[in-house]
Amino acid sequence: MKFVCEKNNLLKEITLALDFTSQRNSLSIVSNVLLENYDDKLTIKATDQKIGFSAEIQVKTVEAGSTTVFCDKLLGVLRTLPDGDVQFEEKDMKLVIRPIGQTIDFQLRTIEADKFPQLQIADESKYFSIPQSDFMEMINQTIFAISEDETRYFMNGVFFEHAPDCLTMVATDGRRLSIIRRKMMEQTAQFPSVIIPAKFLNLVKKMGTGEGTFELAVTETMIFARFEGHCIYSTLINGQFPNYKRVIPESQSFSCRVSIQEMLDALKRVSLFVENKSKRLIMDIESTGIMLSSEESDFGAAKEIIPCEYEGEPCKLSLNYTYLLSPLRVMEGDHFFLQFSGPTKAMTVKPDPERDYFHIVMPMQPQSN
Amino acid sequence: MDQEPIFFHVDMDAFFAAVEQRDHPEYRGKCLIVGGTGPRSVASTCSYEARKFGVHSAMPMTQALRLCPQAIVVHGDMAKYHKVSRQIMGIFEQFSPDIVQVSIDEAFLDMTGTRRLYGLPRDAAMLLKRRVKEETQLTISVGIGPSKFIAKLASDYRKPDGLCRVSPGRETEFVDAIGLKKLWGIGKSTLDALARHHVSTTAQLREISLDTLRRLFGQAQGEYLYKVCRGIDPGIYSGEAKSHSISSEQTFPVDIGDEDILSQCLLQMSHEILARSLEEQVMARTVGVKIRFSDFTTISVQKTPTFPLYSAEQVYELAKELLLSKWKPGIPIRLLGVGLYQTYKGDAPMQEELFEDISKKQREIEKVVLKLNSKGREVLKATNMGGYVPSVGKRQKREGGAKGMSPSDVVEDP
Repeated sequence: MKFVCEKNNLLKEITLALDFTSQRNSLSIVSNVLLENYDDKLTIKATDQKIGFSAEIQVKTVEAGSTTVFCDKLLGVLRTLPDGDVQFEEKDMKLVIRPIGQTIDFQLRTIEADKFPQLQIADESKYFSIPQSDFMEMINQTIFAISEDETRYFMNGVFFEHAPDCLTMVATDGRRLSIIRRKMMEQTAQFPSVIIPAKFLNLVKKMGTGEGTFELAVTETMIFARFEGHCIYSTLINGQFPNYKRVIPESQSFSCRVSIQEMLDALKRVSLFVENKSKRLIMDIESTGIMLSSEESDFGAAKEIIPCEYEGEPCKLSLNYTYLLSPLRVMEGDHFFLQFSGPTKAMTVKPDPERDYFHIVMPMQPQSN
Repeated sequence: MDQEPIFFHVDMDAFFAAVEQRDHPEYRGKCLIVGGTGPRSVASTCSYEARKFGVHSAMPMTQALRLCPQAIVVHGDMAKYHKVSRQIMGIFEQFSPDIVQVSIDEAFLDMTGTRRLYGLPRDAAMLLKRRVKEETQLTISVGIGPSKFIAKLASDYRKPDGLCRVSPGRETEFVDAIGLKKLWGIGKSTLDALARHHVSTTAQLREISLDTLRRLFGQAQGEYLYKVCRGIDPGIYSGEAKSHSISSEQTFPVDIGDEDILSQCLLQMSHEILARSLEEQVMARTVGVKIRFSDFTTISVQKTPTFPLYSAEQVYELAKELLLSKWKPGIPIRLLGVGLYQTYKGDAPMQEELFEDISKKQREIEKVVLKLNSKGREVLKATNMGGYVPSVGKRQKREGGAKGMSPSDVVEDP
């Protein structure tokens, strides 16, 4: 096998491919990247058996063929090479890498291409398109709410659900929940409700440009995405997502309107003194404003009052401040509503004006002692 | 000034068996074994009558019944023992402000500076024994010594219904009188190892330098041996509480490597500590397991789950996971403990949950059981019974014993 290509073209794809290889063991075939070179095309494939990647770039094929090399090392080599055309040639189970017109010579051990696992493919009929901007916004509005506790594996991903006119994403860690229901201009193919691992969604976020469309295919066990010459996939989380609809309050007794920026700034300050383990923030909500405070800790205490629009009775709420911080960070607009019915009931956090997403947050015990 | 340290170690005699004999006159004077009856059960406690036949705690029930076929076997009733234990601990609390309950049937009382109140230590001990007898019809053995270690040895010296005082300055003499074999913390394998070096008495052991002992037995055990043969407290109970914790531990009379038996111990201790946390109305964030191997290497591991700890089953699951992360079935263990750490006041977890948790219901059930029991009814949860294979070995229950380990302890948080 022999081909010539521009270094930066290959570097870009190998950088992406690395995330899909197994990082555990450099001698394993799944730590390698598969290079298939035919008809002036180079197909790059990587998989750790759970997630997979393939991409195609233009090269000059001198001699067709395929092989695999340790992805991490190939990336290291490419990063250090000067810009320009590079010749790749496989000889005696080694990939010889020579930048044209330079006196650099790398030889990378190879493993035969036929040992490389087959990548998964989806039935062509299952694919549907969705604007990249929509899909990435759905990920952004939910992904922070997933659980990182591996014993709650079924919450380690985002629930993805199909309805006739919209797609829904829900994420929860059992204490707070984020949901977005996005209306789709075009009909999407029917698919079963699934739990997409966070890792895959992070990769989509990283690789997507936000422009154009994603071609998605969702089966019972896999999700595929095609875009800009890439095809990536992941196995899904096999488990029962909790019945999220049941925990969304139908209505709330009180509603309080606050500036997103003012709340974010105040949280940044007061959270300095919030106890690290419980992360408990106390909010005293009155018509004159919200007082955010920390409990008295070994270091001291913090308090801040920010304006709000509120007409109910004074109310004291306690909550993990990160449950407010993370959704506000990605919320659009200038103001948000904090809606609640009592100190032990679920609160709703939603933008004003309302959009297609909102968040449910369970409070903490009002008092620790 | 009367400020020389005085510790009492109080041990309830054959506690579970004694309670059963008290409540069932027909068992009195007979060989009684408290324990399960399943094929893999172990004897928990046995009456002194049964001990004459060589039965001891942590012995597989089949073996116990072979030694003492006429024994009456009863299932233990942890809730009842717990209640009686509370009652007795209540009496102790009237004698000393500083009591460390090390297990359901054992406690240390710091009696330093109480002479003006109770007179001579021996008189105070007599009074304590009498009060317990009057209020519960149970006998206790009291050891008095200048350190917890000596007090502990002393309480064991004249059991049952014993009283033994070791005056300051006479520790070495006392250790010699007890003999190497019965010295607390020296098991069969240590004895064998010592015998290979021609050591069979405490006096001979004292002739070996600390460096030599460390080389022969390793850092932890070497230091332990050096101290105990001189009657110096090796610091086994010197736990100063950093934060409030609730734990329970068991030292086995014989080292145990059997996964089933150890699991049963964990389950039982998990139930015990959760019951205590319910009673004290605290929730815990962290579960810890303490393992001491035959060579005295001691490991403590902790885990703080992201979900709230509602039930004994959850505590057990985590404890089991922690045990298996540091131990391979078959390797003998001399001590096993489970603890709840990072506790906070409250009946509910600090963070409310969105979804109903089955464990939350289990906690409610446990609470109801506790309430009924406190009203004098004897209720045992089915899961407790199913899993209940009574106590193996010496149970040591600790209050605030977060650090009650030897200095060689390794604390990890995976």
